[in-house]
Amino acid sequence: MSRIEIRNLVKMYGAHQALHGIDISIQPGEFCVLVGPSGCGKSTTLRMVAGLETISGGEVSIGDRVVNGLRPKERGIAMVFQNYALYPSKTVYNNMAFSLQLSRMPKPEIERRVREVAEILELTPLLDRKPGALSGGQRQRVAMGRAIVRDPKVFLFDEPLSNLDAKLRGQMRAEIKRLHQRLENTIIYVTHDQVEAMTLADRIVIMRDGRIEQQGTPDEIFHDPDTVFVAGFMGSPPMNLVDCMVTPDGLKLGDSEITCATPNGLRAGERVICGIRPDDIRPASDMTADMTADTAHSAPITVPINLIEQLGTEKLVHFSAGDHEMIGKTGGRVTMAEGAPHPMSFDMKHAYFFDPKSEKRIR
Amino acid sequence: MTSTIRQMTTKGTPYFFLLPGLVILGALLSVPLYKVVEYSLYDNVIVERNPTYVGLANYQTLLTDPGYWSAGLNTLLFTVGSVLGHMVVGIGLALLVNADIAPRARTFFRSMLVLPWIFTAVVVALNWQLLLNPFGLINYILQWMGLTTEPLDWLGDPNLAMWSLLLISTWRGYPFIMVSFLSGLQTVPRELYEAAEIDGAGFWSKFWHVTLPQLKPVIYGVALLDLIWTFQLFPLVWLSTGGGPGRATEVLSTLTFRLAFVDFQFSQAATVAVSILIISAAFTLLYLRNEARRL
Repeated sequence: MSRIEIRNLVKMYGAHQALHGIDISIQPGEFCVLVGPSGCGKSTTLRMVAGLETISGGEVSIGDRVVNGLRPKERGIAMVFQNYALYPSKTVYNNMAFSLQLSRMPKPEIERRVREVAEILELTPLLDRKPGALSGGQRQRVAMGRAIVRDPKVFLFDEPLSNLDAKLRGQMRAEIKRLHQRLENTIIYVTHDQVEAMTLADRIVIMRDGRIEQQGTPDEIFHDPDTVFVAGFMGSPPMNLVDCMVTPDGLKLGDSEITCATPNGLRAGERVICGIRPDDIRPASDMTADMTADTAHSAPITVPINLIEQLGTEKLVHFSAGDHEMIGKTGGRVTMAEGAPHPMSFDMKHAYFFDPKSEKRIR
Repeated sequence: MTSTIRQMTTKGTPYFFLLPGLVILGALLSVPLYKVVEYSLYDNVIVERNPTYVGLANYQTLLTDPGYWSAGLNTLLFTVGSVLGHMVVGIGLALLVNADIAPRARTFFRSMLVLPWIFTAVVVALNWQLLLNPFGLINYILQWMGLTTEPLDWLGDPNLAMWSLLLISTWRGYPFIMVSFLSGLQTVPRELYEAAEIDGAGFWSKFWHVTLPQLKPVIYGVALLDLIWTFQLFPLVWLSTGGGPGRATEVLSTLTFRLAFVDFQFSQAATVAVSILIISAAFTLLYLRNEARRL
């Protein structure tokens, strides 16, 4: 277990600046997930920690050492790649043993370690096979085994589940979580999948255009977003973000007025971006225990229902409010007709307000 | 009846379009091939109007001729040496020009290193004759460096001629191998090198455990192709040494030429040519089998 300190990390590709001073402090044993859209710099940050990219500015420390000038093998890290990067000509055993063989570890010790890890990952029957004869999930487990066998200070995962189908991804996600609980190593995990980020992380770092947008626990990120970007990025279906006008009693959304409390400092007539998650918009007849019946926080407005998506245990209700397309939720067994107007309740105590110019949260 | 004719017309159309190709191939490939095999079964062909059919007697004569065996051994040495030279130099240079250097420099070196491929055998042979001449540049440099006291007759000394020929052949033949390996190297996933680097592999470990296994199909295919080409190589050997001094660099292809156009023993020449054909065909079969396996 090692602490990782990333201080003012900068990456330049010629004149293009890919990272603009990244600061992350990861505690020993912490599972840190870097998440963001393609091109936000998350993989670049990870590769700079691994030593696979040069550092243009700033500092990376693993444990007590600044590792800027060290080669990857000297950093005490192990990495799991998106495409597994298994050696095609080597058996599963030799893939896992390769790093130990290079470090001239005695053969019996290599054998003991590989078999022990293979047992944990249920790879023992596959040890003599080559990667070409394995399924995607098995290859992924071998890639993890290869990393674990080295007993590194830090694990780095670069979108390791993105090549798997949805079901397998769910299984492997749980497996990675269990492994972390068992091994307690420090992990940096890169993904663009916010479900992975939410389920795996102790700390989530959301990146955008080479900058950190927000970092915190999954709860903080989901329930207390700092910016419009974070609010819209985390959550599926995403948070409804609508441009509203502040009124003396609440907000004007299109032709409808929602009665609600607005943050102090907002004056009537000002424009504001209001964010509300689909879970907090329900048909008025379908209030959940989690939603309050207090009309000050739950103002029903009648809106035309455009589309209903049946997901099984719940339904997504697409409706129009003014010029905005919004999504609400209802139970899977609730009957609603598409095309007909329906009163929808907004649980405004869970609404977020953002400044339209700076896109920062108004608290 | 009408439907039968229509069916035949439909089925025959593709063969009709294939006909010109088949005729050209038949004329250019099959006829000479047939004639060479036929000549090898007769005595005094071409030089006599009515040659005598001798069956396999020419083959018997050939197999007991020490000149043939000596040329065969030289061919083996020349082929194996050349292919090894091409491989080692080709793969080494491919690794160098695949390195992550400035794009302009990389393009420059790639273009320069392909140059030997574009020269004709005559130009290559003449240039190397001048370079390896006792009063040529190479002897001058060796003497200047103090490595030899007397100029060496690289192409005229029976002990050095084959080595010199191998040097010329390596220089002339490496670009094809280099280009093939370069394209192979570019298909090796970068992640494999990165994974190896994290695993603690240095340059040689990465070469042995990542590059070579990934290039194995290319190496096998290219080596067999090079083997086929080098085995029957004639112009470079003939123009560089003429098979000499004495018979020191006589290979099967130069022996065929000498028998046919110097000694006018066309039947014997055809017999040697058929022996080359049989060995080349064996290599070709190996190559085709390898290609089929890759597909």
